[in-house]
Amino acid sequence: MTLPTEKVDVVIVGSGAAGSAIAAKLAAGGKQVVILEAGPERGNPDLISSGIWARRLKWSGEPVLEDGENPVGHVFNAGYGIGGSAMHHFAVWPRFHEEDFEMRSLYDRGLDWPISYADLQAHYDQVQRESGIAGDAEKEIWRPPAQPYPMPPVPRFAQGAVIARGFEKLGMHTAPLPLAVTTREYNGREVCIWDGWCAAGCPIGALANPLTTDLPIAFTHGAVLQANATVSRILSSDTGEFVTGVEFHDEAGEIRQLMADLVVLAAFTVQNPRLMLASANDKHPAGLANSSGLIGKFIMSHSAALVYGLFDENTSCHLGAVGGQLVNQDGYGKNTHTDAGAFGSYQWMIAPAVKPNDLLGMATTRPDLFGNDLHSFMQDAAHGFAGMTAVIEDLPLAENAVTLSSTLDRFGTPLARVTHTTQTRSKSLWQAVLEEGRAIFEAAGAREVWTGPQAAMHIMGGTIMGQDPAHSVCNTYGQAHDIPNLVIAGAGLFPTSAGVNPTFTIHALAARSSEHLLNHWNSIVQ
Amino acid sequence: MPQTRRAFIRTTGIGLLSFYVAGCKLELTPGEARQQEIPFQVLQLDQVRILEAFGEVLLPGSAAAGLAHFIDHQLNAAPADQLLMIKYLGVDPPFTAFYTQGLEALNDTAKSAHGVQFFELSVDQKAALTGQIALANPDGWAGPPAPLFYFVLRNDAVDVFYGTKQGIESLGIPYMAHIEPPSRWGE
Repeated sequence: MTLPTEKVDVVIVGSGAAGSAIAAKLAAGGKQVVILEAGPERGNPDLISSGIWARRLKWSGEPVLEDGENPVGHVFNAGYGIGGSAMHHFAVWPRFHEEDFEMRSLYDRGLDWPISYADLQAHYDQVQRESGIAGDAEKEIWRPPAQPYPMPPVPRFAQGAVIARGFEKLGMHTAPLPLAVTTREYNGREVCIWDGWCAAGCPIGALANPLTTDLPIAFTHGAVLQANATVSRILSSDTGEFVTGVEFHDEAGEIRQLMADLVVLAAFTVQNPRLMLASANDKHPAGLANSSGLIGKFIMSHSAALVYGLFDENTSCHLGAVGGQLVNQDGYGKNTHTDAGAFGSYQWMIAPAVKPNDLLGMATTRPDLFGNDLHSFMQDAAHGFAGMTAVIEDLPLAENAVTLSSTLDRFGTPLARVTHTTQTRSKSLWQAVLEEGRAIFEAAGAREVWTGPQAAMHIMGGTIMGQDPAHSVCNTYGQAHDIPNLVIAGAGLFPTSAGVNPTFTIHALAARSSEHLLNHWNSIVQ
Repeated sequence: MPQTRRAFIRTTGIGLLSFYVAGCKLELTPGEARQQEIPFQVLQLDQVRILEAFGEVLLPGSAAAGLAHFIDHQLNAAPADQLLMIKYLGVDPPFTAFYTQGLEALNDTAKSAHGVQFFELSVDQKAALTGQIALANPDGWAGPPAPLFYFVLRNDAVDVFYGTKQGIESLGIPYMAHIEPPSRWGE
């Protein structure tokens, strides 16, 4: 693919879930699209089944400085290379609930979204058809109004059955986890073999990542992707009223420009605000499109509540998907644990496929063990290990933010600094949910139960959407309030984090934005 | 481990353990590299000796599995190509100082407490000191946070021992690769 030298219709910064989805839609809509990706080019043959090799898919770009009491774990949560973090995501695709969009109105906490679930429902349904999700709509009793899943649910292996027993004994409900993974041949994609290598990328196309779904569509319609292209600045007109393109450094380190009618920032939650802040000019002295002063603010990260156990039965814990086999959202109501001083939603992802090593591996769950005790544990765990993870809602706080460091990267752009401390009620929720998880495993008959530390999962916020330009960065389509032909995509748009995984909602928002951009193209671009 | 042969390691973009020895390219597992006494590129031999002794406390068999060659190879790679788990843990690259300063602190602690180097401690003394640093910095510790150093090295040992096809299958777990790791240490 040759990078155009002339002005193009659209330049998209980043090839992750959001950037690839918008690229596919806009290219299919007849627009000339160029995607600039800071990381390397990869194809399916590069997706090696190994927890060690999979680390190549994690962030390896310019360092992101972290502070606060609960760092967001940027390297682990972000991606590097074509497909971005979606290349190592677990494909757990539940929907946000109706109440997630009305937090301030209903509970006087957090923020309201400028759209409702009803505004997004058709786009969820559209993405679900296009990307394919396996699930059981009837058993998922908490699911908001939606079309049935297009694929039958994921299978339940021994680990799932063992843990489900604990939920049942406590009068709790489980359903198959909604996964964007094939349980039957789907649009020419192979069926998953449940080998547990999701986080290493999925070279057979069973898991809906950009290499499998959106990028082939984008390329079919003429989109061009340039890897190893690090955008360092967004260019704007003399008046500051619109953007004109981007400045980037190519693989050789040469500085180049690409002009475009529309600029889409889809460089993940941290790099988007970093680029906007670093693109300050005389018309936008506090950062590009930052009249609200809110660029970078309201960074959120789900806390993971990690519960583990050993059972006498063989759990076959290597089988399945890394996201898990079952879901429970009995505690999704925001006030489930008010007695503990907690607030917010959560869901259990139950029975993930696990490997011996890496950050989520069996060995890491017991960092206190070493020597022959560790060997003994590994032998035991290989047959009787089980685990589950709760996604804990993180309330938005303005002081949790991306800011610019005084340290510059190799191209002279200030590094991003991410400050994050979990809100007190969100932390209380994490603690209360851990205790619930412990009780579930004990009810399931685990002979040993332990829990993990508070861990960061997903990164959201920082370029939030809203109706009021004084209190948000973007409108409901991701267009910057101050500059309509600058569009932000991804989880940075979220005003609240909900208690579920973000990727499905990222796709739904991208589909909604793309439709709007195509329908109103002439009034948006200059 | 004497450096008796003129050799150098070629670090590829994806971390393949390719060694050039006297003009010949060898692809070896870390364990094979250790057996063949392939020279180290980053670590000094005294550091290797401490590292292997520490690895044996953390996970017996990790030294023979090539823990030191694995770490040395990764430290010699470009930051974007490094596959060490430390990259997840809030430590900015390059990581060499983390390892070398940690090993030095571990050895200094052994000398301060017992008057001998870490690898000269008795089995019980090594285990006791390891248990100590897993929880907190010992008095006078002058390296990276001791519990983090313990955590990182322990996971490196798990990587080389249990993170390979051979290691996973040793637990009775089928590897089920779509695409097998191309280096010998992935077998």
